[in-house]
Amino acid sequence: MSIGGLWIMLGAYGAGAAVSILGSRWGNATRVLGHVALLIGALAGLALAIQRLTGGALQTAIHVELPHLFPFANLVLTLDGLSAFFLLVVSIVTIAAAIYGPAYLKAHSGSSPAVEVLGINIFVASMALVLCAGDAMTFLLAWEGMTLASYVLVVSEGKKSNTRAGLIYMIMAHAGTALLMVVFLTLAVHAGSFDFAAMRTAAAALSGTERSVLFFLALVGLGAKAGIVPLHIWLPQAHPAAPSHASALMSGVMLKVAIYGILRLGLDLLAPATGPLPPSWGWIVLVLGAISAIIGVLYALQQHDLKRLLAFHSVENVGIILMGVGMAMLLTHRGGAADALAALGLAAALLHTLNHAAFKGLLFLCAGVVQTATHILNMEELGGLARRMPWTAWLFLIGAVAISALPPLNGFVSEWMTFQTLILASAYLRSGSGLVVIAVAAALALTGGLAAACFVKAFGVTFLGRPRSTHAAEAVEGAPSMLAGMVLLATVCVMIGIMPGYAMVLLDSPVMRLLGGVGPSQLITARGPLVLLASANPGTGTAVSMTAAAVLFGAVALVAWGIVVWPRALARRREPTWTCGMAPQSRFDYTATAFAKPLRFIFALLYQPKRTVRKKTGSTPYVLSQLHWQSDVVDLALVHFYNHVQAGVTRVANAIRQRSTGRIHDYIGFVLITLLVTLLVFGRG
Amino acid sequence: MDQTLTRWILPLIQVVLLVLLGPLVTGLIQKMKARLQCRRGAGILQPYRDLLKLLRKGTVQSDTSGSFFRVVPVLVLGATCAAATLVPVFFAPVTAGHAALLPLGDALLLAGWFALARFLTAIAALDAGGAFGGMGASREMTVATLVEPALILVIFSVAIVAGTTDLRVIAGHPVGMRGSFGAADLLALFAMLILLLAETGRIPVDNPDTHLELTMLHEGMLLEHSGPGFGCLVLAHHIKQIVLIAFVQALFFPWKAANTNPQALVMGLGAFILGTLALSVFLAIVESTYAKLRFFNLPQFLSISLLSSFLAVALRLL
Repeated sequence: MSIGGLWIMLGAYGAGAAVSILGSRWGNATRVLGHVALLIGALAGLALAIQRLTGGALQTAIHVELPHLFPFANLVLTLDGLSAFFLLVVSIVTIAAAIYGPAYLKAHSGSSPAVEVLGINIFVASMALVLCAGDAMTFLLAWEGMTLASYVLVVSEGKKSNTRAGLIYMIMAHAGTALLMVVFLTLAVHAGSFDFAAMRTAAAALSGTERSVLFFLALVGLGAKAGIVPLHIWLPQAHPAAPSHASALMSGVMLKVAIYGILRLGLDLLAPATGPLPPSWGWIVLVLGAISAIIGVLYALQQHDLKRLLAFHSVENVGIILMGVGMAMLLTHRGGAADALAALGLAAALLHTLNHAAFKGLLFLCAGVVQTATHILNMEELGGLARRMPWTAWLFLIGAVAISALPPLNGFVSEWMTFQTLILASAYLRSGSGLVVIAVAAALALTGGLAAACFVKAFGVTFLGRPRSTHAAEAVEGAPSMLAGMVLLATVCVMIGIMPGYAMVLLDSPVMRLLGGVGPSQLITARGPLVLLASANPGTGTAVSMTAAAVLFGAVALVAWGIVVWPRALARRREPTWTCGMAPQSRFDYTATAFAKPLRFIFALLYQPKRTVRKKTGSTPYVLSQLHWQSDVVDLALVHFYNHVQAGVTRVANAIRQRSTGRIHDYIGFVLITLLVTLLVFGRG
Repeated sequence: MDQTLTRWILPLIQVVLLVLLGPLVTGLIQKMKARLQCRRGAGILQPYRDLLKLLRKGTVQSDTSGSFFRVVPVLVLGATCAAATLVPVFFAPVTAGHAALLPLGDALLLAGWFALARFLTAIAALDAGGAFGGMGASREMTVATLVEPALILVIFSVAIVAGTTDLRVIAGHPVGMRGSFGAADLLALFAMLILLLAETGRIPVDNPDTHLELTMLHEGMLLEHSGPGFGCLVLAHHIKQIVLIAFVQALFFPWKAANTNPQALVMGLGAFILGTLALSVFLAIVESTYAKLRFFNLPQFLSISLLSSFLAVALRLL
């Protein structure tokens, strides 16, 4: 089955891409067929991943040789535990997106179905290929395919702002790819082959400095894709520009492929053969994670575009994942309690990867339904959607509770594990190192609080109160197939939330593949699947039963509903809200800008808010006839780094343009000078 | 029999005790405040009467609000009661956390349930479509973001020594385990008392007695609720207050019964009652002697808590 499953998956994606040929003639059929192929591929991928993950942790990797295309490199697919886990994440979101897609695209006739179907199939197929790559050549080719296909999706609607978002995305992504190529080519020179297995052996012989330089190059390259601050600037522009189910895949899954790259290189290919990793790796990843989490959520708070807000939250969640990864890197192979903590940290990171894919996918799909129903994504013009679209509203609420790391849903479980890793690790490390770890924990707590505030805003302003525009007032519920895709992801959120113990089995083989030792199912669910246990040494640590907690919560709420509220449901009157004697209208509703104002004020140092108010008075200065109010916050990375870089590039380009006279003699002169300098510098050998 | 007692009956009694005594603590604080202001004040059972009255009343619901608005009160009550199961009141055997069949007692989960209750209350506040609800929700969530890191640091300052965040284990350890009540404990307790003021919605962070829009946080969010639903939210607030009081005691004054010996149980209960009285007096006195802070001065006030809890952790680690 295994190898067959791999071929079925890739074949289905390929077929889906091929269907796009029909596009120009039979648009609708193309959409449906393309997404059916996508669904089949994702189901095959899911089956393959689950079979690999539950089939015992130590089984050997699936190994497939691809046709020999290049004289210098064999193309190989290898599916080990780590690949299988990420394939699982990709497949789950893809299934939901494939069910959701056709109805969504039908409602948005912005671009040709051929382009979309081709783009999304190739996009998902390349992600699967990156994960299954057994050599650097396949990895890079699939990585590039992933970038290009997602670029096509970003610009597919053909708006001007999307084109700009796509351009920035391309620049950042290719800068990242260039760094990755440097890393892989260096390794290939040492190994004499592009094969990962050979690279692993060759990397063992590297010196400490070389190893660290390669790792940090790779971290920057992959970080550009993962959206680590300050490499995140493309993300909030590009992700919202794609069709919503493609946004769900980009935000929920593509970032995870970059996380996979960090794990593959940091903990596998570049890791020393024995002994711990250099401490600087773990520390830097940990601190970058903390910064990304806080900055991501702070900027998300000030966004009023629903999809943009969600995209910034991806930066935050990548940060949370990196906290777990950083702890694992820091503690692995130090023996005893540290190994158990490393496994706990990595398990937390991987579980959060899966959780974030589920709830971020869900939220993006909900945003897509809102967009379909109203053609608006600006929260300030929405409002009151819950009564017109109850399903979407409840599903969005589930996603919002999950992403805010609140019990009883899945976000809480993985953040709880991250918290436990941090507290136990700080007690283990002591002194200054322990204090840094505690500061990261405080940052994580702040992130959780800000995320909750942000989603009260996002949910409340979008779905509750009164509609602020006619589009919002006339919204209709999304098609059943769209809702089905969302229900699927919501189910994942709820199931992992109330029964996390059963998901631990899935984490066994990736954790054991990277860290050795015992897997999370033996550490975390040592006391049965209903109890989560976080401990460094046997007999200590914290145990908690999420299942019991969720059952209690539900039972009390049901009893309260049955005894207190429901029997008196009949004695209910509906009256307008009291608005100090005026007729209630939607302008009395709290807006998103107003909601986020206190935090804009408190974190003014990071936001550097700008406000312009223009007043136009009538005949007397006391009567305002017109008021223009505008408020902006800046992205510090953009203002203090990228804008300077851009200005520099523009200045150089201008300087070149001034000297571009259009006369052929000058150009020949330039070429000659360049040749001379090149020969002087490099020609001595 | 003994196992049933320790596993099921005593924990159940503790939860029921917290739920039943919640309104009493509020009544007590109100009475003390009244006496400090030279008023006679309502009887200490007044909160129970208010609750009974609310449960008997009909509901007036805003015509803009939908299903969320009706469901949120019971969910908030559910989350708060789920939180109440997590703190030990008078009984905390050392093995409680490690041996329990379905362990409940994690401090992070406690913080999580309160955060869920707050999240849902804020959402319901936005549903009615009035500016007061939105303002209350916005401010409450802002204060919460500032409280949460300090709360985590307070929990961690104790958890670093105990090796766990399980409150039953923390409270069940013999007092000698943490050594004497040192500087780190003192700093963390100081931080926690500030957080107690913020989380129970009392002066100088919030004013529980007013519906004046400029001062209210928590009350602002409840303005549109009425009848049994409002009763659920008020009861949840009472329970939250007593749970937090029990939480402070579990972290810093762990004098709990370690076994089912009746004498130990009575001692544990007595200690809890004394501790609750002491903290109620603290809340009443602070509320009577301080003025409410301006909203944008709150970050400074709460950052004192953050700083001292961080110092507490630093003292433990360095």
